[in-house]
Amino acid sequence: MLEYRIEIALWALSGVLPFIMFSLWSQNDVGNSFGLNDIGLARYFLSAFLVRQFSVVWVVFSFEEDSLSGRLSPYLLQPLHPLLRYVAAHLAEQATRLPFAIAIAILFFVLNPSSFWIPSISRFLLAYVSTHLAFSIAFLLQSLVASLCFWTEKSSALERLIFVPYLFLSGLLVPLSAFPEKVLFLANFTPFPYLINFPAKILSGMPVDLLNGFFFQILWIAILLPSVNILWKLGVRRYTAMGA
Amino acid sequence: MKRYFKTIMLFWSTAFASQLEYQLNFLIELLAMLGTLSGSIFILSLFFSDGRQLGDWSWEAALIIQGVYTFMDGLTNALLRPNLTEIVNYVREGTLDYVLLKPIDSQFWLSIKKFSFAGIPEIILGLTIVFWSAIRTGINLSVFNTLIFFVSLFIGFVILYSVWFLIAASSIWFVKTWNATEVLRALLAAGRYPITAYPVILRLIFTLLLPVAFLTTFPAEAVLGELKLVIIILGLALSTFFFVVSRLFWIYALKHYTSASS
Amino acid sequence: MQDNPRELIRVDQLSKIYRVADKQPGFKGTLSHFFNRRTYKVPAVKDVSFNIFPGEIVGFLGANGAGKTTLLKMMCGLIHPSKGLVNVGGFLPQRRQTAFLKEITLVMGQKQQLIWDLPPMDSLYVNAAVYGLSDEITKKRINELADMLELGEELTRPVRKLSLGQRMKSELLAALLHHPSVLFLDEPTLGLDVNAQARVRSFLSEYNKQTGATILLTSHYMADIIALCPRVICIHNGSLFYDGDLDSLANSLSPSREVRVELKKAYFPEQFVSYGEIQELNDRFVCLLVSRSKLTEVVGKILSDFEVIDLEISDPPIDKLIGELFLKGEIS
Repeated sequence: MLEYRIEIALWALSGVLPFIMFSLWSQNDVGNSFGLNDIGLARYFLSAFLVRQFSVVWVVFSFEEDSLSGRLSPYLLQPLHPLLRYVAAHLAEQATRLPFAIAIAILFFVLNPSSFWIPSISRFLLAYVSTHLAFSIAFLLQSLVASLCFWTEKSSALERLIFVPYLFLSGLLVPLSAFPEKVLFLANFTPFPYLINFPAKILSGMPVDLLNGFFFQILWIAILLPSVNILWKLGVRRYTAMGA
Repeated sequence: MKRYFKTIMLFWSTAFASQLEYQLNFLIELLAMLGTLSGSIFILSLFFSDGRQLGDWSWEAALIIQGVYTFMDGLTNALLRPNLTEIVNYVREGTLDYVLLKPIDSQFWLSIKKFSFAGIPEIILGLTIVFWSAIRTGINLSVFNTLIFFVSLFIGFVILYSVWFLIAASSIWFVKTWNATEVLRALLAAGRYPITAYPVILRLIFTLLLPVAFLTTFPAEAVLGELKLVIIILGLALSTFFFVVSRLFWIYALKHYTSASS
Repeated sequence: MQDNPRELIRVDQLSKIYRVADKQPGFKGTLSHFFNRRTYKVPAVKDVSFNIFPGEIVGFLGANGAGKTTLLKMMCGLIHPSKGLVNVGGFLPQRRQTAFLKEITLVMGQKQQLIWDLPPMDSLYVNAAVYGLSDEITKKRINELADMLELGEELTRPVRKLSLGQRMKSELLAALLHHPSVLFLDEPTLGLDVNAQARVRSFLSEYNKQTGATILLTSHYMADIIALCPRVICIHNGSLFYDGDLDSLANSLSPSREVRVELKKAYFPEQFVSYGEIQELNDRFVCLLVSRSKLTEVVGKILSDFEVIDLEISDPPIDKLIGELFLKGEIS
């Protein structure tokens, strides 16, 4: 149990990337060029850290492990959709991660007292909802890749192909408003900006087009959900046909 | 010595053969690498918009750092990741027993058994960027500086290997070290940017505590002919220190393993 | 390793004690566990002594958790003894010196060392390099061993496509490539079907005859032990309680034999009481337990007293006897 706690603490720490980027952006005084002062930057990156803590997904890895170790077959026999099992695992871990996320936030405020803020209730609730939507999109995206496990033995390699654009287009490294207009325009047609950038902007109190953001979040869920469903069914059919 | 050399050759030729079984992986790695590289150059370009500099580094000089990072990442993907992330499986599945009963050093076996050939393009591309950008900066690339560059790359790699091996070896106590490795990788990402671009506290941490600076910034300075002798000596001392610690820790871990495992 | 013509393996008052941390369940338990770790000692092996001579095949018997595997691993140097001494061919196993490692091999039925995605042949050449064997010697030994194991083209097929039996045989080949003189086998036939088990067994006995190698094995299958091991060492709760040949183990465990009789017509139970202990009585069939010393006398009496159609004398099955023994936990 203690080991498990250390695990989660490490998990929380592995999300330090936004803080490293924050120190870079603020040290080099770049924020002003895209309309964010130091305080704005600090709030944005702390929000990005928090959003990531509660929307990070690792279905592909659990799934690959389960299918390689043969645990998948009994799961398929149970009257519960195996993906729901992973949803439950993720939500449970998010809950245990809460104290660590809070502790890191407090530490951040101690180091940067000027950036302290408490979002309004309405902003907080909106950010809460959009983080859950972001989690759903990320989960569905990875489930899509996980379903490919039924075809190729190592689909975790494919996960890299999602992770790379996620890293650069989600807003984990830089608020998207720093992007040149053309790049931003194109990025907005991918699901990635709605995973970090959108919820983090809400939480940090930056001006944000709520309607547009929520519309795209829901749109992506509407596209991904049936796709995952179809691919999963095809995969299971193939899996059972192979008699694995 | 000859036996060890022949073993490496066979390790890697079998690794090559088993990777041929998964050709798709190679293509994916290649795509991921190109995506990562163009992504980070794009982010880097954001710092230089409006004619700014990044911690006194010009655009071309900062590109050298990207090149060194790509090279290190390639080596990581080729050697460190495939081998060191496996250690936990050796422990969990008990196949570590077989390794320990082989008349060959177990740390050697665990560190070098595999070689992922998908890392090679990244290594080559990284070096290409380094030298291409170095020429673009207009400096005179002397043989001496190139030599110092490779020495400092070696120092950086030994440090990275030792820290990573240390974490991986702790899997003898903790069944999962995956997360600790993630923390390491997240911190290493800091090496994409020159160390002088960070606040002073982070600079200290990245030089002494977790020597990220030795991985990318210092080799890049070596190419530019700006690396101080003191840093090279410090690097040699640190890398020796880290390597010896990793070695001692492994011996200690094995002692625990052989007295507690069942 | 031949410099000591007498015993090859000497185990003297060997003990292994594990420290196990005692943790109460729940968060409170975790906390107190963290700050005030209380450990207690669990003896896995207690004061075990025996000698093994070159060329012997010795079976280790015992229930799950009896300490067999711990003992085996102490002898090959994977576990440090807490007390006592192990000496294998003049070496202290726990130091794992190269010269020692080149003389031994370990095969674990439930763990494999072959590279999963490649044919066994590739793993064999890796092993050869590790043991510093030349290419010619490697080729020659692979051919010899493959012949004995009846392995052919399986060696050039990816391991993941091999059956469990073929995989085990390939594992054995990989483990024996360096011609070890001491073989430690931990459940080498685990999970194999009856035919594959039999083939592994006959290979081991042939290998022992041809090379004079010493073989120490644990197995859950009594058939393995009966077929291979003239000598058995029984471990119970970490202690040694029997060391000797298998037949006298059967005798000492059960001094009786089973006599099954098929009769022309049914009799009452009381009529058999004077002959032996009734195991079973079913219409015309009766099964009696008769002590060895009175066997001929009793059988003669049965044949003259009753109208007998068929009569069969057998040892009670040894695995049943040993199973019962472990269940009872009794040590004579």
